[in-house]
Amino acid sequence: MTTTVQARGVARSFHSKTSDVTALDGVDLDVDECEVFGVLGPNGAGKTTLIRILSTLLLPTSGHATILGFDVAKEVDKIRPIINMASGAERAGYEFISARGNLWFFSQLYGASKEDFEARVKSLSSRLELEKYIDKKVYELSTGYRQRMTIARAFINDPRVVFMDEPTIALDVMTARKIREFLVGEAKESKRTIFLATHNMAETEAICDRVAIIDRGRILVCETPENLKRIYGRPAHVVEIRPSPPSMSIFTSLPGIKGATSTLDEERGVATVKLVVEDEDAINRVNMALSNAGIRVLSSWRQEPTLEEVFVSLVGRGFAEREHEIAS
Amino acid sequence: MKLRLNLTLWYRTMYSRAWVRVRSTYGEPLWVAVNLAVPLLSSLAMALLYSSTGLSKFAGFAILGGVMLAFWGNVLWSMASQFNWDKEVGIFEIYLISPAPISAVLVGMSLGGILATVPSAALVTIIGWFFFPTPINPSWTVVLLTFVLTLASLYALGMLLSSLYLAYGREAESLNNAIGEAINLLSGLYFPAIGAGSPFPFAVQIVASLIPLTIGMDALRKAVFQTGNVSSVWFDLALLAVMAMVLLFLGDKALKALEERGRRQGTLVVRLK
Repeated sequence: MTTTVQARGVARSFHSKTSDVTALDGVDLDVDECEVFGVLGPNGAGKTTLIRILSTLLLPTSGHATILGFDVAKEVDKIRPIINMASGAERAGYEFISARGNLWFFSQLYGASKEDFEARVKSLSSRLELEKYIDKKVYELSTGYRQRMTIARAFINDPRVVFMDEPTIALDVMTARKIREFLVGEAKESKRTIFLATHNMAETEAICDRVAIIDRGRILVCETPENLKRIYGRPAHVVEIRPSPPSMSIFTSLPGIKGATSTLDEERGVATVKLVVEDEDAINRVNMALSNAGIRVLSSWRQEPTLEEVFVSLVGRGFAEREHEIAS
Repeated sequence: MKLRLNLTLWYRTMYSRAWVRVRSTYGEPLWVAVNLAVPLLSSLAMALLYSSTGLSKFAGFAILGGVMLAFWGNVLWSMASQFNWDKEVGIFEIYLISPAPISAVLVGMSLGGILATVPSAALVTIIGWFFFPTPINPSWTVVLLTFVLTLASLYALGMLLSSLYLAYGREAESLNNAIGEAINLLSGLYFPAIGAGSPFPFAVQIVASLIPLTIGMDALRKAVFQTGNVSSVWFDLALLAVMAMVLLFLGDKALKALEERGRRQGTLVVRLK
């Protein structure tokens, strides 16, 4: 198996007049051909910075990274023809031009011939079910079809490595599923590497061969989703409570609690708290603490481990809490 | 073989970017109306001003200024600001991660802009000369040569300004807007900014002479309205050629240097989410 993406000690910091931020801190990675590789972490963890370095848009402060053996810092001319990238947040293209016209334009940035372009656009639009909309102007397309066009654009040059930054963000279930199936097919059938940065855990579990969990610019673990759950995941104890506790420390200060994350249904005033616990005694301690705080348990159940529990086990908090910490 | 591939890539990038610019310009009726109306109305207003003050023989300057304003405003100046728009919406990073040369993207934008501006310039010429017929004495070869050299030097200036967007964001846009107005004034789009008839003191004329549009407008006025032979404008043409070459050289160097600086400092792209 060919290693397509390699990173060794990649670090990146940003300096401004008011602060210094370390976005990446010594990242090591090896990603192979035909692999859908996920980098999973909360917003601000360093995923986009890593993609920008690997796609030649940003230089690392230290460390070394290669794409198919070419140095991302020094051999950009050799890397750019064989990579591409798409983001869920980018504008799909030029609004007053058709999807086909946009795809033709982007193919010309790679010097594609008319025949090559026609063959690529026919194949991509068929696989992404875009044929009916291919001659419509971009402003006439729905969000889902714009994103299908963006994905088609990222494969227009027949790339060996494709970087995807939250490609299904804000998409409906059907479109997201179609895009995920397409990405897996492209990796397995066309021998590409799909490098996916996401904070969507279900997406990561569904399509990634391996996952690197990233937090504060560091890769915490890198394994298959199954191994991550087996090694690091513990069943979660989930409680629905009312009112919402003033702080998560009511849980995290208790012995036997590995981590906690919560979501709040503001309309009902109900908080759903997921606790990664070490043993049954910890559950009793949680119930006791809630009772002492005057918080009512509406329901509780046990949940088999997902990648979210893996993250909570490793970091002690869920994505929402980490994003809140990073933002503040 | 490699050279041929590089040239093919350069040509295809340039052609497709020009195509995008032309299609986008005609995709929105309101933009078409604005592109046609702004240079026409401002040149007609200036021509009326000349006529109403008994200087109707200079009304042709206003018409010529309107034609060049269309090119300057829509073709070359907006090249830099469109670069910024591409950056803001995330398309710019698609250019950067592709093997396409940025110079080809810029030339394509510029050529597309020229093609998209021709109807506006033609409208100003036809309507302007219909209402304010002014005697002209042109040598069309000299006019064409002057026009091409003026556009070439303006393109090179646009390329230099565009390079600023690789390293800066809103600061570059503010600078662009600020010096745009100063150039409109100093270059004398509607009046002679240098030489006899200039309203500016000599020191200001020297500064104005450093702007390619000033030299281009001066040469075009001579070529269209005065003797119409090359001897009257040879110095301006030589100056424009030198300016074009120097600005192209500086623009190319700046694009490469500022892309590298942008990669180092993380200013090539903006965060979209």
